[in-house]
Amino acid sequence: MRPADWLVLVASLTIIVAYGMYRGRGSDTTSKYLLAGKSMPWYAMALSIMATQASAITFISTTGQSYADGMRFIQMYFGLPIAMIAIAAIAVPRFHNSGVYTAYEYLEKRFDAKTRALVSVIFLLSRGLAVGVSLSAPAVVLTVILGWPSQYTTLLMGALVVAYTVSGGIQAVTWTDVLQMIVMTTGLFAALFSAIYLLPSGVHFSDALSIAGSAGRLNPVVWSFDLSDQYNVWSGLLGGTFLALAYFGCDQSQVQRYLTGRDITQMRLSLLFNAVAKIPMQFFILFTGAMVFVFFVYVKPPVNFNPGLNAKLEQQAAYPQVKARYDAAFDQRRLAAQAADPAAFHAANLEFEAARASAAKLAAQATGQESKDTNYIFLHFVTRYMPAGIVGLIMAAIFAAAMSTASAEVNSLATVSVIDVYQRFLKPGGSDPHYLSASRWLTGFWGIYAVITAYYAQGLGSLVEAVNKLGSLFYGSMLGVFVLAFFVRRVQGTVAFVAVLTGEAVVFAAWTFTTVAFLWLNVLGCAVVVFTGLLLSLRSGLQATPR
Amino acid sequence: MTTPEERPPFLGSWQRIYFAVALYLAAVIALLAWFTRSWNWSWNR
Repeated sequence: MRPADWLVLVASLTIIVAYGMYRGRGSDTTSKYLLAGKSMPWYAMALSIMATQASAITFISTTGQSYADGMRFIQMYFGLPIAMIAIAAIAVPRFHNSGVYTAYEYLEKRFDAKTRALVSVIFLLSRGLAVGVSLSAPAVVLTVILGWPSQYTTLLMGALVVAYTVSGGIQAVTWTDVLQMIVMTTGLFAALFSAIYLLPSGVHFSDALSIAGSAGRLNPVVWSFDLSDQYNVWSGLLGGTFLALAYFGCDQSQVQRYLTGRDITQMRLSLLFNAVAKIPMQFFILFTGAMVFVFFVYVKPPVNFNPGLNAKLEQQAAYPQVKARYDAAFDQRRLAAQAADPAAFHAANLEFEAARASAAKLAAQATGQESKDTNYIFLHFVTRYMPAGIVGLIMAAIFAAAMSTASAEVNSLATVSVIDVYQRFLKPGGSDPHYLSASRWLTGFWGIYAVITAYYAQGLGSLVEAVNKLGSLFYGSMLGVFVLAFFVRRVQGTVAFVAVLTGEAVVFAAWTFTTVAFLWLNVLGCAVVVFTGLLLSLRSGLQATPR
Repeated sequence: MTTPEERPPFLGSWQRIYFAVALYLAAVIALLAWFTRSWNWSWNR
C-alpha cells in the first residue's frame, strides 16, 4: 500500500461513516430507528439490499472462483429475478399492510406466538453464527496478503459499524449502504479495466476472450444436470429461486431493508431493481476473474496464492520437482498462447492445472491445512500489479462490502431481539422511548458480539466457511412457513410450528447423510414444511368434522 | 380488508412489469448461453 492508497482508503471510510451518522440523525422514535419512519425511496433501499448481499468475502472470492473454475457460478443468481417478482407480488403487500417491524411478527398475526418465537430464534441462531464471519473472513485474507494484524482490522471495521449503526439506526445503515455500493461498483470496474489494461502489448481484448474461453473460464451457462453440482442452469433456476425467496423474503437482514419503504410501489421497485441489476453485476465480477486468469497466462503466478502456505511448500523435499513441472507447464502454456495455437494451449493449460493441483496436494499433506487458494488470487493481483490509488480504492470496496453486510446483520439482529423477544415476551407495554433505548443498547450488544465472534472465528480456518453454510440449513424451513402463511388458509398455529420442526429435522438429516448440494436443501426444507403443514391440517380438519 | 393495488410508475400495471422482468431474465440467459457457445467454441472446435 502506497501513500495514495492510504489516502483513498482513509478518505473513503471517513466519508462513508460521517455520511451515515449525518443521515441517521433524528432517529428519535423506535419507528424511525428501526424502520426509518417508513420514508425511504426505492433507490436507497435497492442499493442497500444489493450492498447487504455483497459481502467482502463474496467480493474477494468470486473473482478467485472465476479464475479457478470459470464463470458458471453466475447461474446461482438465475433464480433471483423470479424470487423478486414473487416477493414483490405476494409478500410486500402483506408485510406493508400488516404494519410489522419484522417478518416474524407477521407469523404471529397469521399463526400464533410460539411459531413467531420459533422462527425468530432460528433467525437469531443462524444470523448470530454468521455475523462474526462477515468481519473475520476479509480480515484473515488481508492479514495473509498485506500483513495487517487481523485483530486490528476486525476491530476497526467493527468499531466503524457499531458507531454509525448505534447512532443512526437503519437510516444510517441504508444511506451508508448507498455510498458503500458506489465505492464497491467503482472498485469493481477499476479492477476490471486495470486487468484488461495490464495485459501485455499485442494481446488484444479478443485474444484475451479466446484464451479465457479455451481454458473453460467463459462458461456462464452449463446445461447439463447434476444433483450434486449447484452451478448449472437447472439448480440455478430452481434451487437459486428457493434460496433467493428465503433470503429476500424471510431473512430479516434483507426484509428490514424494504420494510422502510414509504409505500408498496417504492418497496416493489427496490426489489425489481435488484432483479434486473444483480446478474450483470455478478457477470462483471466473474469476468474480472477471467481477465485476471488471462493476465497470469503471461505473468507467472505463485504455485499457491496463499503466501503462508507457499512458504511452507517451499520447505518440502519434493518441492523442486513440483516447481520444475510447474515452471515447464507455465512456459509451454505461455508459448501456446503467444502462438495462438488453441489445441496446444488447451493441452498446456491442462498440464499447468495438473501441476498446480499436485503442488496443492503436497501443501495439504505437509501442513494438514486446506490448500485452496481461491480467496487470495484477486488480492494478490491487486496488491502487486495495480496502480497507486486503485489499490486503496479496492481495499475501500472490500471494507465497504464487509461493513455493509455486518451493519445490516447487527441492525436486524437487534430489531428481532427487541420486537420479537423483548417487547413481545419480556417487557410488553413499555413506552416508545424505552424500546428506542433498548434498540440502541441491543444494537451495541450485537455489534460487540460480532467483533468478539469475529476475533474467535479467525482461528477456525476452513470451519469459517462451514459456519457460513450453516445459515442456509435454516432457509428452506423458514420459507416453507411463510408459504403456508400466505397460501394455505386452513393451516393454523400448532400445525405450522410442528411443520417447521419437521422441516428442520429432515434438512439436517439430508445434510448429514447425503451429498446433495446446498442449493437443493432450500427446496427440500420448504417442500417438507409445506407438505407436513398440508398433511397435518387435513388430518386435524377431518378429525374436527362432525360425523 | 385489502388495500387497492397501487399503479406502478411505468408500463401501466404490475403484471406487465413482472412479465417484462421475466422476459429480461430469459433474454439474459439466452445472451449468456450465446456468450458461452461463442467463446468456448472459437478455440475448441
